[in-house]
Parts: sequence; structure tokens; C-alpha cells
Amino acid sequence: PFNEYKLNFGKSKEACLNYIQEAVLQKQWKRAAEFLTSYAEALEKDFSKGPSCPSEIIWRIGTEILCHHPHSSMREFSSFIEQMKTLAIKRYLKVCLEHSFHLLCNGMIDEASQNLSLAVSWRFGEQSILQDKEMKLIQAYEGLLDYYRWSKQKNVLLERGEDEYEDLSVEREMHSYFRKAALNLKEIIQVPGVWDIFVQCYVDLLEFYGDNEEARQVLKEYAYNSKFPSNPNAHVYLYQFLKRHGESKKSLISVLKILHDLVPSHELMIDFNTMLQKSKKRRNRRLGLEVIFAVLDYAGWKENMKAWSCLARQVKQIVSSEKHLDWIKQEWNYRKDWWPAFHFSHYLAKRNWQENESLSYEKALVAGILLGKDCKYFRYVSKQGCTAQVKRFQTLKKFVHKHSPIYLRTSG
Amino acid sequence: MEFPDTLFPSYFGAGPPQGQGGPAVAAGWGEHGQVLGTSRGCHKAKVMFVPQHGGMGESWEPADAAAVPLLPPNTSCSIPQLVPQDILYHSFLRRKLSMDKPGPLLDFTKQLSHFFVDHPEDAFGSLGQLLHKNFHLGDSRVKKEVRDNTIRMTALMEEINRLEARRGCPWKRLICRLRWFAHLSRDWLFEVPLGLLGDSVHEELQLQWTRLLFDDSLTGGALAWLPPEDGARAGHLVYPGGEAMNRLYFQEVVLDKLPRARGSPAEFELNGRIQQVATARSDGKDFVGIRSDYHCGVWRVPGRAGAAPTPLQVIHTRVPASCLTVSPHLPGELTVCTQGGSIYLWNVETGLQRLRHDPQTMFFRDHSPWRWSDFTAHPRVLSFADRTGLQCLDARAPERCHFDLFKVGEEARCQQGERVMLPMYLGRAHPSQHLVTTQFSMYVVDERLPLVPVLKWLHMMKAPPLFAHLSPGDAGRSHKLLLGASLTQEMLLLQYQGERRGVQSACQLVGPPQKLHSISSCLEHFRTQLPHHHHLLQQRLGVPAAGMAAVLKEDGRQESLLVFQLSEAGDVFYQRLTHEERCASPKPSPVVPSKATALRYRRWLKGLSEHCRDPPQHSYPPTRGQKRLFTRKELQTLEGHSALHRQARQQMRQAMLEGGRIQHWDLPDSQTSAVPQPPEPEQDTDTLSTRLTAAWAGDWNQWWEKRSSFYKAQRQRALQERRRRQKRGRRWQGLSASFTSSLTYQSELSELSGTDPPPSPVLPGAGSPPRHSPPPSLELDEGLLSSQSLHSRGIPKERRKTLRDYLGLQAEGPPESLEFPRSQDSQLCIPSSQSQRSSASQTRRKRPRMGF
Repeated sequence: PFNEYKLNFGKSKEACLNYIQEAVLQKQWKRAAEFLTSYAEALEKDFSKGPSCPSEIIWRIGTEILCHHPHSSMREFSSFIEQMKTLAIKRYLKVCLEHSFHLLCNGMIDEASQNLSLAVSWRFGEQSILQDKEMKLIQAYEGLLDYYRWSKQKNVLLERGEDEYEDLSVEREMHSYFRKAALNLKEIIQVPGVWDIFVQCYVDLLEFYGDNEEARQVLKEYAYNSKFPSNPNAHVYLYQFLKRHGESKKSLISVLKILHDLVPSHELMIDFNTMLQKSKKRRNRRLGLEVIFAVLDYAGWKENMKAWSCLARQVKQIVSSEKHLDWIKQEWNYRKDWWPAFHFSHYLAKRNWQENESLSYEKALVAGILLGKDCKYFRYVSKQGCTAQVKRFQTLKKFVHKHSPIYLRTSG
Repeated sequence: MEFPDTLFPSYFGAGPPQGQGGPAVAAGWGEHGQVLGTSRGCHKAKVMFVPQHGGMGESWEPADAAAVPLLPPNTSCSIPQLVPQDILYHSFLRRKLSMDKPGPLLDFTKQLSHFFVDHPEDAFGSLGQLLHKNFHLGDSRVKKEVRDNTIRMTALMEEINRLEARRGCPWKRLICRLRWFAHLSRDWLFEVPLGLLGDSVHEELQLQWTRLLFDDSLTGGALAWLPPEDGARAGHLVYPGGEAMNRLYFQEVVLDKLPRARGSPAEFELNGRIQQVATARSDGKDFVGIRSDYHCGVWRVPGRAGAAPTPLQVIHTRVPASCLTVSPHLPGELTVCTQGGSIYLWNVETGLQRLRHDPQTMFFRDHSPWRWSDFTAHPRVLSFADRTGLQCLDARAPERCHFDLFKVGEEARCQQGERVMLPMYLGRAHPSQHLVTTQFSMYVVDERLPLVPVLKWLHMMKAPPLFAHLSPGDAGRSHKLLLGASLTQEMLLLQYQGERRGVQSACQLVGPPQKLHSISSCLEHFRTQLPHHHHLLQQRLGVPAAGMAAVLKEDGRQESLLVFQLSEAGDVFYQRLTHEERCASPKPSPVVPSKATALRYRRWLKGLSEHCRDPPQHSYPPTRGQKRLFTRKELQTLEGHSALHRQARQQMRQAMLEGGRIQHWDLPDSQTSAVPQPPEPEQDTDTLSTRLTAAWAGDWNQWWEKRSSFYKAQRQRALQERRRRQKRGRRWQGLSASFTSSLTYQSELSELSGTDPPPSPVLPGAGSPPRHSPPPSLELDEGLLSSQSLHSRGIPKERRKTLRDYLGLQAEGPPESLEFPRSQDSQLCIPSSQSQRSSASQTRRKRPRMGF
């Protein structure tokens, strides 16, 4: 009979949970709250130790309901969470972290900070790997909050700096925030992960105190350590850092080259292309053409004016000088079977002309040179342009007709 | 599109998944995941934090109480869904077999026997022709000259039929002739090698069983919405229908306040069940890809209104295709995956190009042959998925250029046992983002940051999501993502956002996820049905979902989201969600359907029930034909008898014409019992059975004495003596005792007269056979049924029992029971053997009670 009781109890528990889930998923918060109360009451009679963890269920559902319930308040929320912290002892750190997040999102930064420092001092039995990770995250967020306090003090000092009034206590406070923040942030960014915000803050701290070498080291580690995921932002931060500190073109190019290999569609590729175009080296200019062609392979850049004008300018330059036509030929070879349908269809010509005349101009120029003067896109746009008597379209037509033999050489 | 300048923090691990996952019912709630501060290092004093989950989203409220039928029911679909009972052993055999093998047991023998019955030509065709001369069919006797090498099949058939009739009978024995024939022909009669056939049947059964548990052939869904050209109010719904879901329909649907179908749909008949309908718009034209198991086709639908869809090309695959997606970049380009690891790029102009063939899964070993592929931000780069993860490969150099996009493992913080269910390119919301759903979670991954999902949420759905639909939001608005499961019909609406104040930001899940109505939810809004109709309706509405589509509609200032859902039976339902402003107080969701929707329910039900009213012929209960029971002549002779005869005959004829029952047997005497006579137990006709019965009853000795003719005379004497004693005894007994004995007699009589031929060994030497000499007083009352009267009317022996049974079943009470208040004088006519038997039967009845 005890087994049967357990079975029936389990069944009714499950049914109750299903009701709660249904109500929460249909945003019936009051109903869900009622169900949850009776669920919690029913659990008091439960002596079985099943694998499911009701305390975590109550924490999760309760939090969800209290976040959306029309009559819930921050105080109620906090008192609920405090209860949960003692109930779900194994998830204590997680509950603390989530509580701090909730406070942070509601602008209660000081309370969140208190919460985090309480959590840091918590000890219970042996720490699991998961708890270790959670503890590190808690410390990192603590460091982040310290960083924000530091930055606030710094701003206060900077504003007062001109008054030549030295407030030593503010400065001392600021430095103590720096030490705490730097310590905590440094810890987490050594573990593989995506730590954009922590890295940025840490580098900002280091830069302020002039420790550029350490900052560079941190950024390089973040970008190039193979244990870390290939995060484009890591390369962007390094590039921005080097640029800020006036590093040589060569090192900037090498950073961006790696980014190009990883993410050819990154928005920095336009800067990269401009940089390469300005370079005197033939190899770099060749790379520039490759970069801009690659950017335009991606759907996200399809109607990007900047990218098309970059390409148009370069193509025009090469055609006018009649040097390095083989560069165009090579790039075109990879794309000639699908670019016409992707970029230069009749439908797109019509739409581009209607929506963005300048874009259609740049594209028509590229189309006229790559596909010859008979291509649909060029013919439609130049015809429309000439009918509308826009001067640049007339020059465009002349230019393409003049250089039409080029097409034969590039397409062959 | 820019890459967000700061991402939410997350750990990055490698290797197999470690996580166990939280409680499944609540795993997705109560977490903000991570937070990001938004004014780093600026001179602003205030820092704002945004959460990864649980930010403010838009409010979408259901406008209907339940899903509403959009189109009339797919009445041609009457093939019932496969249910576990069809292919699993149940009853005692299951219990017996499951002793040594736990888990479901496939009913293999039933399927195999179905094969021989359903495909006799394939199973025995040519051997049957060869042996044609040796098999004699027909009632006539086999001629003497060919008797040596001819078998009379009619007799064999009769035996088989008899065997069939006695199915489940505990005394069933295999007739020796059948046994002999089976032994003789076991090895050569089947043309199909039995072992091979058995293997195939078993394999198919296993396949059906796994499909019943989880059918991944429906992945992607078979419902699609083709949006109208800008400004128009009517789009097209593409869906399968027909008996086997093999007809493709393009139905124009007008988006008024309530969506409605306009005109009749364009229809194409295909030779396979449509599993998936995939669409994409490129160059202003819609391309519709259709996947069935062995064929994939592509249609083009011009954007302008009223233009007819044109079929472009069909390909045939040797192994079932598991995926078909249409390129959003290049017109007429698709990708096809087949089970077992091939991926093809299919261009309508240039044909098929195989990019990869690898029967092994990518990241770790998984038995599923399911493969999927989709397009990416780069028109030449395709994503390729199996249950273990996603890879991106360049179609120009598929072997060299590829990278891992998503891995079931610690990289995405997956759970143990997690598997990819459906990947989808989210290009319309963001050109480099993809959705990956597993049975536990949904992930948004970015091609530029491979392996680390930019968004993860545990969806808590009861069945794995096989359908997904994206409604991209404009600048600053959230993207609406719908996830749909097949088996449970669940649909979940999520919102996510990757942009803040015009700048690309890290992906956030906003607003609470929301459950939409399922098709089966509308059951309660149909008017009350008869229980079995209700059950049918419930079954119909509860079949798994087969597809999902949605359209965002703007009506002045009111925005609404229309969600269509297709069931496996081919019915299309819809529901509306309306966008509510934040400040407005939330409207309570409707509980009762509006008038217009109530009308739709009524119409739909009418459409369904009109079709269901004529069930297929074979579902009638078997009835006996009038012609087979009586010949014309017999019926004529019956006429001209008593009024009772005429009345009975009339009623019976009437009932037979209507195919109904004789509801009340209008007899002058109303002392009839309502309970029909229980079927009579099979009589043992052979000596062994009688002997065993006698032994069981305890008077085996008696039987032996009866049996030997040596004691014949002695027995007669004993009988006479006994009868005398009985008579004496009865005089002393009260009326009640005589009543019970008459009852016994009565049942004995019916047992005897009902059997043909009667048990021979118990016949006494003297006296007439009992069945021909019922007590004379019986004849008047029982007139219609007594053997003698039937005999006198020329009804042959064989049919008497049939007729008696028939009347016994049809009448409200067995006519025999009319004889309850039998007077004592009838006792005088009890034949000796019967009284003996009756006493035997009495002891038989008492025995158990005495014994225990």
C-alpha cells in the first residue's frame, strides 16, 4: 500500500506540475501561483526521495511567476528567493547569481553587490565543478560591479581634476576598487570562454594605469589562444587596442588578415579593404580586391552601398589602368556561375533602381565590366538612367562600352 | 550586418556533454542566464543591465478560444492511423512472451499471415498453376482414375473454415488431414523464401514501431504560406491532402478579419505521400520544394496574384530523402539530403551535384540515418546536419572547406543524450544566424561565432520540435519564432531580439514563451456528439501535427499573427494572436468561440460527419441472408399455418429486409426472459471425449458398463428399476424439487436437440431416439422450433440448428424458456438416457462445491 500511495502521489504531483506548466505557458500567472501553492503544500506530505528535485522546480517556477505576476513586488520576490536559498542548498550559488541578475536588471546595483559578496563567502561541503564555475562567475560579476564603481570615481576625479583639488579619500577608494576588480576579472578571463565584457573592463583598467604591455598580452591571449572559441570580438578588441596605441600598419593588417580568414563578412573588412588599397605593396592591393569580393559574397552585404562603391572603384581603377586584369579574372572565376543570379538579375535591377539609384549605379558599373555590356542588369539600369537623363549614367554607359573588350579577356 | 560589440559571458568547454539537465518541467524558467552592462566606461553615471532571458517582449494575446478550422475536413482521408495495438502482441501471448524479453513485442506472426491472405498470387501463384491438375475443387467426388494424384481441396477448405470458426476454442484440434497437408507442403509451397520474407517483415515492423515512437520523416513540416506581393491581401497556402496525403494543393487564402479560402485550389497528384513542403522567395518568385520518400519536386509560383504554379523538375532518389530546402538566395536552387549521409545541391538548370557522402555521423556515433541541410549567409556555403551537430561546407570545395557550426557537446553546454532535431536558417531575421532545436533546447547560433550558441533556452516541450517558423520583426522589434511538435501538436511562441536602439546587440530572449492552441483543443467547442462520434472526432483531432505556418498581418494599427496548423489527417486549422500595447490592460483570452467561428466548427463537423455516415460495407455485422436460410418452397409451405406462424414469419421477414433485429417477439405469453440463451457448448462426438467427460464427472465406471454391449440387458433392467424408484421418490418430494428437475430436463433437451448428430454411444437400445420424441405437449407450445415440426416442414436437418440459433438470438428470450411451468406429467415421458444424463449433469454441477 505504501508503494501504491507513492505511485498515486507521484502521479498527482506530475499532474499538478503539468497544470502549472500549462498556466505559466499561457501567461495565467494568478492561476499558476495558486497551483504552485497547492503543489508546495502537497510536497510537505512527500516522504519519498525521488530523483526529481522539487526545490529547484519551486524556485524556477516561483521566480517565473513572481517576475510576471501583476501584484508581485520586489520585496516579495526577495523574501521568496531568500527562502529558496536555504531550501535549494545545492543550487545556492545559482540562486544567488540569478537573484543578483534580477536586482541588476531592476537597477538595484548595491543590493546586487551585497548579494554577490555574501555568495562569495558561502561554503557548503565539497565544491562540485559546476559550483566552482558558478563561484568564478560570481566573483567576475563582483569584479564588474567594482569596475563600474571605479569608473564612476574616475569620472568624479576627472571632472574635478581641473580644480586642482585633490581628494585623497576618493582616489584611495578608486584604487581599492581597481585592485578588487582587476583581481576578480583577471581570474575569469584565463578560463576558456566568451568574456567580452570582462576583458574590455580589465583592459580599460590596465590602460588607465599604463600597463599596456599586460593589456596587449591579455588581448592577444584572448584572440589567439586555441582553447578559446573563435570570437570575432577578440580580434576586434586587439585591433582597436593597437590602433589606439598607434601601432604600425603592418601589424594592423596582420590582425585584420586573421579576422578576414575567420569572418570574411565582418564589417571591419571595409576598413581593411581601404587600408589595403592605400598600401603600396602589390600583394596588399591584390588582397584588398579579394577582401571586397569576399564581402559581397554574403547575403548581409547584398545591398550595402559602401561595399559596392569600394568594389566599383577598384574595378574601375584596374580597368582604366589595364593593369592586373588577371586579378579580376581570378576573382570572377570563383563567382561567375552564381553572381549573375545573385546580384545582377533583371528583377534586382528593377528593384535597386527603384529603391536606391546610387546602389544601382555602382552595381551596374561592376556588372557592365564583369558581364559585358549586354548583361541584363547593366542594360536595364543604363537605359533607365539615360532615359532619366542622369549624367553619371551616361558616362557609365560610355565607360563600359569603351572597355567592352575587357569583358572578353576577363571572361575567357 | 554588424557583429554585436559585446556578447553575453559564457564558459567554453570541449568534449562530450556533461550536463544532466534540470527538472524537465521547469528547466527553462527562472533564469536570466547572464547579464550585460550597457554603458561601459562612458561618462554616464548610470549603468543599465540587460538580461539574456526574460527581458521585456511584445504582448501577443490569443484572439480565439481554440484553433478554428480553416478549410473543410479532408474527407478522403479515412485510413486510420497506425496504433501500437496494430503491431504489438497483446493478450496472453504477450504476457507469456514478455517473461523472458521485456519491452514491446512486435506481433510478427499476424503480419506474416496477413501477407499470405492479402497477396496469395505472390505467395503461391505459379505453384498453384503447376499443381492445378492435382487439386480438385468443387463438391463432386473425385473420379476414380485420378484419385491417386488428386487432393479434394473443398474438404480441406471446409476443415480450415471450421478451424477458423473455432478460433479460441480450448478443444480445438488440428484435423489430421490438415496436419498431413501442412507437413507435406511446408517446404515447397511458398514461392517467396520464408526466411527472407520473415526478415523483411520483421524489419518493416521494427521500422513502423520506431516511426510510431518518433517519426522524423515529417521534419520541416508539410505546410507553407506564400505571402502575397506587397499590398495584396491574399496569399497561398500550400499543403498536402487526399487519401494518402499525395495531392498537393495551392489554396488562395484571403486575410480578412478571419482568414478564408477563395476559389478552389490548384491541385497536383503525386505518387507518394508528401512529407515536407519547403518554400523560399528569390527574385520575386516563390519556389516550392516538395519532398516525399523517394521523389522530390520543385514548383515555381510567380509573385503576382492569380498566376498558376508551374512544376519545374522532379528527382528520384534511391534511398528516402530526409530533407529538402529551397535557397533564399538563388532562384531554382535547392539542397537535398538522403538518409544515410548524402547531401546534394540541386539546381533546376544545372542538375544535381553531390557534395558529400558519409554514412557515419559527424561528431560521434549515432545510429540515426537522418540528415538535414540548409543554406547560409553565403549562397555557396551549405549547412549540413545530422543528429550530432552541424557543419558548414563550401559547395565549391566540399572536402576541403568546411567548419563546425554546432556540436552536441560541452561547447554548447548540451545535456547527455541530446540530439539535433531541426536546424533552420534564420536568414530573414539575421543573415548569419541559424536555429538549432534539440529535444531539450533551442539554440540560436551565429556562423561568425561557431560552436558557441548566442542564445540557448530549454523549451520544455513534451515532444521534440520538428517544425519551426520565423516571423522576422522590423527594426527594433522582436523576431517571432514558432516551434511545433508533431506527436503532441504543441506549439510554442518565442520572441528574440538582436538589436537595441538601431545597433546590433547580443541575442536576447524577450517576453515569456507562450503556448498556442493545439488542434485537439477545439474538441470542446464542437456541439455535443453521440459517444462514438465524439470518440471518432477526438481521434481525428488528436492525430499528430504535420506542419505549421504563420503570417504576420497588419490591419491599420492592429497587428495580428495568424498561425496555421496541419494535421496528419490533412485538416488545416488556424488561430489568431493579436498584438497588444504594453500599457493597455491585458485582455482576458476568450473562452467561448465567437459566432463566426462557431459556424465554422459546425460546418466542419457537418463536412466530416457526412462523409463518415457511410462506413465501408465490411463494417456491418455479418447477417444471414434470407435466401440461404429458406428456399422459396420452404417459405411457402410455412404459410397457411397458425396466426402465430404468420406473425412470426412476417416479423422475421421484415427484420431481414431491414437488416435489423426483431425487437419484440410478440407472443401471447409474456413470461420470457430477456437474456438470450448462452451459446451451447460444443458436443463431443467421439468416444474419447465422452469417456473423458464421464471420467471427469466421476462415473467412468458407468460409462464402461454402458459401452460394453454385454451388459445391455442388465442395464435395461437397472434403468427400469431406477425409474420406478424415481417415481416413488418424487411422490414424497415437494413441488420445488420437481420444478428443478424439470428445469434440468429442459436444458438437457435443448442441448440434445440442438446437436446434430446426437451423441450416439448413450442411446439406449430400447425406446425411440430422444430427439424425435419430445413430449407431445411440447409440440403445441414450441411449435415453430421443435425438431419434429421443422422436420415435418421439410427443413433439412443441417439447417434446423441454424434456424433455432437464429431465432434464439433474435427473439427477446429463448422460446424454449416458455416451457418453465411444465406440469409433472411430462416427466413420464423422459427417456431413460436423458434422465441419466441429467443426474450426471447434476452431480457434475455439484462436484466442485463438494470437493472444495
